[in-house]
Amino acid sequence: MTKTILKAAIGLLFLAALLVIPRYVESPYALHMMILLFLSVSQGQSWNILGGYAGQYSVGHAAYFGVGAYTTMMLMYSRQVVPWVGVWVGVAIVIVVALVIGSICFRLRGPYFVLASIAVAEIMRLSAINLTTLTNGAEGILATEIPAFKIGGRVITDFLTKVPFYYIGLFLALFTIAITYWVQHSKLGYYFQAIREDQDAAHSLGIHITAYKNIGLVISAVLTSLAGAFYGIYVGFVDPPTVLGLDVSVQIMLICIIGGMGTIWGPVLGSLLLVPLSEALRSNMITEGLVKIGFVSADSRIGLFLKENLAHAHVLLYGILVVLVILFMPDGLMGFIKKLAPRRNREAV
Amino acid sequence: MAVFLQSLISGVLIGGVYALIGIGLTLIFGVMRVVNFAHGDIMMVGMYLTYLLFTLMGIDPFVSVLISFPLMFLFGGFLQKVFINRVLNAVAQNQILLTIGLGLIMSNTVMLIFTSDYKILTTSYSSSTIQVGGGVSVSVPLLVSFLITAAITAALGWFLLKTDTGQAIRATAQDRDAAQLMGINVSRMSVIAFGLGAALAGTAGALISPTYYIFPQVGSTFTLKAFVITVLGGMGSVVGATLGGILIGVTESMSAVYISSGWKDVVVFVLFLLVLLFKPSGLMGKSRT
Amino acid sequence: MAILEIKSVSKFFGGLAANSDVSFSVEEGTIMGLIGPNGAGKTTLFNCITGYYPPSKGEVIFDGRRMNGLQPDKVCMLGMVRTWQKVRPLAKLSVIDNVMVGALARTSSLKHARELAMEQLKVVRLEHRVDLLAGGLPIGERKKLEVARALATQPKLLLLDEVMGGLNPAESEEIIQLILDIKQRGLTQMVIEHDMKAIMRISDRIVVLTSGEKLTEGTPQEVVSNQDVIDAYLGESHA
Repeated sequence: MTKTILKAAIGLLFLAALLVIPRYVESPYALHMMILLFLSVSQGQSWNILGGYAGQYSVGHAAYFGVGAYTTMMLMYSRQVVPWVGVWVGVAIVIVVALVIGSICFRLRGPYFVLASIAVAEIMRLSAINLTTLTNGAEGILATEIPAFKIGGRVITDFLTKVPFYYIGLFLALFTIAITYWVQHSKLGYYFQAIREDQDAAHSLGIHITAYKNIGLVISAVLTSLAGAFYGIYVGFVDPPTVLGLDVSVQIMLICIIGGMGTIWGPVLGSLLLVPLSEALRSNMITEGLVKIGFVSADSRIGLFLKENLAHAHVLLYGILVVLVILFMPDGLMGFIKKLAPRRNREAV
Repeated sequence: MAVFLQSLISGVLIGGVYALIGIGLTLIFGVMRVVNFAHGDIMMVGMYLTYLLFTLMGIDPFVSVLISFPLMFLFGGFLQKVFINRVLNAVAQNQILLTIGLGLIMSNTVMLIFTSDYKILTTSYSSSTIQVGGGVSVSVPLLVSFLITAAITAALGWFLLKTDTGQAIRATAQDRDAAQLMGINVSRMSVIAFGLGAALAGTAGALISPTYYIFPQVGSTFTLKAFVITVLGGMGSVVGATLGGILIGVTESMSAVYISSGWKDVVVFVLFLLVLLFKPSGLMGKSRT
Repeated sequence: MAILEIKSVSKFFGGLAANSDVSFSVEEGTIMGLIGPNGAGKTTLFNCITGYYPPSKGEVIFDGRRMNGLQPDKVCMLGMVRTWQKVRPLAKLSVIDNVMVGALARTSSLKHARELAMEQLKVVRLEHRVDLLAGGLPIGERKKLEVARALATQPKLLLLDEVMGGLNPAESEEIIQLILDIKQRGLTQMVIEHDMKAIMRISDRIVVLTSGEKLTEGTPQEVVSNQDVIDAYLGESHA
């Protein structure tokens, strides 16, 4: 009992800290990092519901991320629809798309499902490239000016700093965590996990397999599209590879797999590891660090090579991490921690 | 009519190379039941190998097959021994993730070394054609690569049907446990199968390098195409993969001509989804019920 | 009153008949034994009854309703549930969660499902295993878990596919007691079993299948004294 109270207290403290951070932290870069973290948590958590709980490894989540991002951006760019309206159009479209994909892909199992999910996402990406009148093709859509958000004529925010994005991101991350919590503690979560563990057994226990897979897909897709819309508006630019590419699908999946599938905190852990690592690479922090500690000199061939190339190496890092996780800790970081924990308890006894 | 014949011919020719990629994938799947998502990236490594041999040593891409085939065989064997072997009994999803990870490592390592610029391998015959009459012409590099493909496929068929090792591989593909009981060294067969699969993919990479852009991310499209091909032909069937490859080649070139080149891949993927939906055992495969 | 009627059910795979023209009915509150040598089509019949395969011919009538073409989940909701010859625990879920998945067929409240699940765990005497992972249980307990999970769906008819397979005599005896317990509660059961002594003890009636066809049907005494059965089936193990 005291343990629950303690947990709740720590949680609230964290939440309070997250809420006041923008008041004290002015560095746009620090806020940017936090926003990326929130985005990553929401992406990973969205995938978690379908992949982690229901065991349906979609390698095509870029489809929902991209549709969310594109719809919002397209509406804002060509129809001057404010994003907080456009988002819901995106959600509506994504629900339709998800149900179509579900009706195709959920008739398939295992590798076939994975393949079909990739194929669908690729069809989306190629369509975005080819439907130039709608999507501006390979050039993408650049729309950085967001109209001010007003309630009753009063300007709530004009989106000129990172602070409003920080709070939207925080809300999105907390919202996806809350949804996952709700799923895990409801009939849905039990049925999802039963399907993941053994489809035939689940079927014999009165579970309508296709219906529940589709429910999982729709929840997951809607959350992913919200993350996509948020990404589009925050960055102010979308193009086919950055929101619809296979890399995007893989990255969404990785957050969850590295952190631990089918757990509430897995995607959070995964994000805490992946986001700082890939940002450190992207911003050349690692090279600078190596130079600073005198490991390489900045003008040497190696130094120049690292400076030039490490910035692009974050995907390489994803690859290495996946291989390591699958080979050495298939249950992700959470599984690894859980394995350590009882050992410690036993020793204490 | 000339347009139709033209696109049919180039479709069949490019389809031959696709078949090679598909056969490699199907061989790996047949023997190990592992779906290799790094297949296109292995092909990409083959392309860069060919590019290196050409630019550094001036070896013609078609001749370089003699070098790249054994090198890629060793590379494949290495991948199987070090990585794939550890997940043979894991759930399919983990096998898929592992190979996706390996693919990312390959494409991004290549990108670190060669940058993401498009490379073009220009040979004296890159754009030469032979007129066959009726306004129809045949691209020389495509024709040569098709002939090499046909020769390799025939040699592979002979190897699988006539040699002891080939028969052992087929036995392993049919029933791994039974093959083991019969004294076949199953793990050695797996190494050989993965090696062969990689060698075939690498060879395909060498063969298309005179006519295709070379860049680190080229693999993922081909991985998908290889799947489409093998699913069309029925997973694990070498003959099916050959026919599937040609079918995809023709579909692509036809849709490039009659729809638009931007949509040709979409047509292929839609076809793929339709097959998965209505005939998941493949066009060649036996239906289960 | 017959709760289950099998009317001329046949199932073909390609040209092969796994079941051909099988008919019998199960009376409410009784235990029907289903025996036959390996490959006689017992599990196929279970699959046809519970919606995993549609029968190629014939009808399955359960509780006055034609079941042909219904999916397994619908079959379960209507009150017929089966266990598996090769046990299928939801390995990464705890014992109680496994049974709760069954109970959730009848309630949407987790709290209520937990109570229902606890009741069934007590019935099969696994209440001391509540929080263990199902995948870590020994085979005997996994079999019991399957029964508890099936019971939690509150069926009218329970189909048990070789629940004693792979168990030692003491464990088998426990399962026999469990089956008789369940009968006491008024639940109808249909049991596939290889252990002849066990099936003779628990069954009210027995159907004998050979090569997909019904050889005979009757009380255990009638079946053991039937010359065809002795030749076709018992002869095999007595020889």
